[in-house]
Amino acid sequence: MLQKTRFRGRPSTQAETERDWGHGRETRTPQGAADEVPSTSRGASGSQEAAGTRSPSARSASAAPAMELKVAELVQFLLIKDQKKIPIKRTDILKHVIGDYKDIFPDLLKLAAQRLEYVFGYKLVELEPKSNSYILINTLEPVEEDAEVRGDQGTPTTGLLMIVLGLIFMKGNTIKETEVWDFLRRLGVYPTKKHFIFGDPKKLITEDFVRQRYLEYRRIPHTDPVDYEFQWGPRTNLETTKMKVLKFVAKVHNQDPKDWPAQYCEALADEAARARPPPSVPAPSS
Amino acid sequence: MGEPHSRSSRLGGGPEPGCRPSPPSQFELFFSVGLVIWEEGAGGWSNMQCSTRRMGIITDVHRRFLQLMMTHGVLEEQDVTRLQKHCYKVHDRNATVEKLEDFINNINSVLEPLYIEVKKGVTEDDGRPIYALVNLATSSVSKMASDFAENELDLFRKALELIIDSDSGFASSTNILNLVDQLKGKKMRKKEAEQVLQKFVQNKWLIEKEGEFTLHGRAILEMGQYIRETYPDAVKMCNICHGLLIQGQSCETCGIRMHLPCVAKYFQSVSEPRCPHCNDYWPHEIPEVFNPEKEREAAGVSKANRKSLRSRQH
Repeated sequence: MLQKTRFRGRPSTQAETERDWGHGRETRTPQGAADEVPSTSRGASGSQEAAGTRSPSARSASAAPAMELKVAELVQFLLIKDQKKIPIKRTDILKHVIGDYKDIFPDLLKLAAQRLEYVFGYKLVELEPKSNSYILINTLEPVEEDAEVRGDQGTPTTGLLMIVLGLIFMKGNTIKETEVWDFLRRLGVYPTKKHFIFGDPKKLITEDFVRQRYLEYRRIPHTDPVDYEFQWGPRTNLETTKMKVLKFVAKVHNQDPKDWPAQYCEALADEAARARPPPSVPAPSS
Repeated sequence: MGEPHSRSSRLGGGPEPGCRPSPPSQFELFFSVGLVIWEEGAGGWSNMQCSTRRMGIITDVHRRFLQLMMTHGVLEEQDVTRLQKHCYKVHDRNATVEKLEDFINNINSVLEPLYIEVKKGVTEDDGRPIYALVNLATSSVSKMASDFAENELDLFRKALELIIDSDSGFASSTNILNLVDQLKGKKMRKKEAEQVLQKFVQNKWLIEKEGEFTLHGRAILEMGQYIRETYPDAVKMCNICHGLLIQGQSCETCGIRMHLPCVAKYFQSVSEPRCPHCNDYWPHEIPEVFNPEKEREAAGVSKANRKSLRSRQH
């Protein structure tokens, strides 16, 4: 009744699948396969338009349909997982999607990354070098009217996150937890009181944002009473910049970013560092 | 009508060796946050090759549209048009706005190899066009991403069965809640079950009308095929469009059924409506054909209201 239809269209036996793979490997290296995707996905305008003639790249793509399907599954998996904003672990991808195709995982991931960026405008990046966990970064700048067309499905928690990120940056990139709550209390957000928008603010800030890797949260050693400190997490550095956060803070205070010279210089230096080619490419490691 | 049109015949796929899922786990796939897993003639690989060839060129306009479409899951046509305009405004003010149909086709051409599609359907009650982002491939991957727990999914299944078995296409909340003791997974209290039902309504899987629940057009778009195959003896079909029918009108003589929008079109400007099957007198009120023009006027009036409502929510 309910059939599993992964290999729909070609009732695939193991042998057949293997033959496909063998064929794929013979005709081109996995690297070649990865390079070919942009040409098939972007190439509709060019020579491939000629009616009735199947382009060479389209034909060779059919050589590895199982691979195409794996890529589709991988794209869906990454899209769905990213909705919770928790970094996606390589081991989870291997376990739930890749299965027996482990040896070509890097190629599958590369193809999925190309599709994600071309079709959805999401860039797949490794959270930190060698961290083996991945997140999607939106390549499209958010615009205010997005919220308008989205209706009430926006994410109000982003506002609170921005406030905390701003606070951390303005206070020299590290801040004690007690200081955060002192500040938030003035905005009517209390660690122990349920908030009508943010729910449990303590959990949101010290657990959810931390798990999403927007914030680092650790115990300050040798303090009595026990206190914790916050820093920016790796996702923050990938999704935003010091300059953007400073501009946000300035906007909230109705001032100019240059009114905070130390932070402004730091933000400029950060921008310059980002403009330089990074020593190691932050793309999915292969 | 209601049931989406299949673009190509379904090709039977071989079960994957070694990991055949049991139907209940399969069921969970439907709830993977807008990317719902069901295959409906996505075409075999031969199709896919063609699609590679006629793959359209998409821009950031299309990408932003897709991103926002993903957050909604389902939208009425007028909102889709609004979304499209918004995306052009953000990225390409001067570009000619593609016809919505072409715009969607273009997007679907690049979505096809990913087994995802923006699918058009209509609401069962008044025939307004809706668009949902649906998933065409069955895959085990998204079930862990499901927003719902096992007992919640089972509650939906129970509701679905009651709706399909009912004559009206509606199940009362009382009848649904009476089944909470039989749910799989963690024990659920009636109070909780009520909240879960509301969550289904919010996520546009169910519609509630005066304490009775029926399927949302989104659910029909995504699960139509599943429902037909899982409940072959209980499902009803429309005599006009031959699509799956959940709610509609029926002939009191021969028992055939018709979707309300199908009734509206079929009997439009007919003074003495008769059953298309047995020719007996059609004993129901004939609904009006959905008119987008009229809709726009009404929307224009209520727009101000809606806006103030939204600003209050923030």
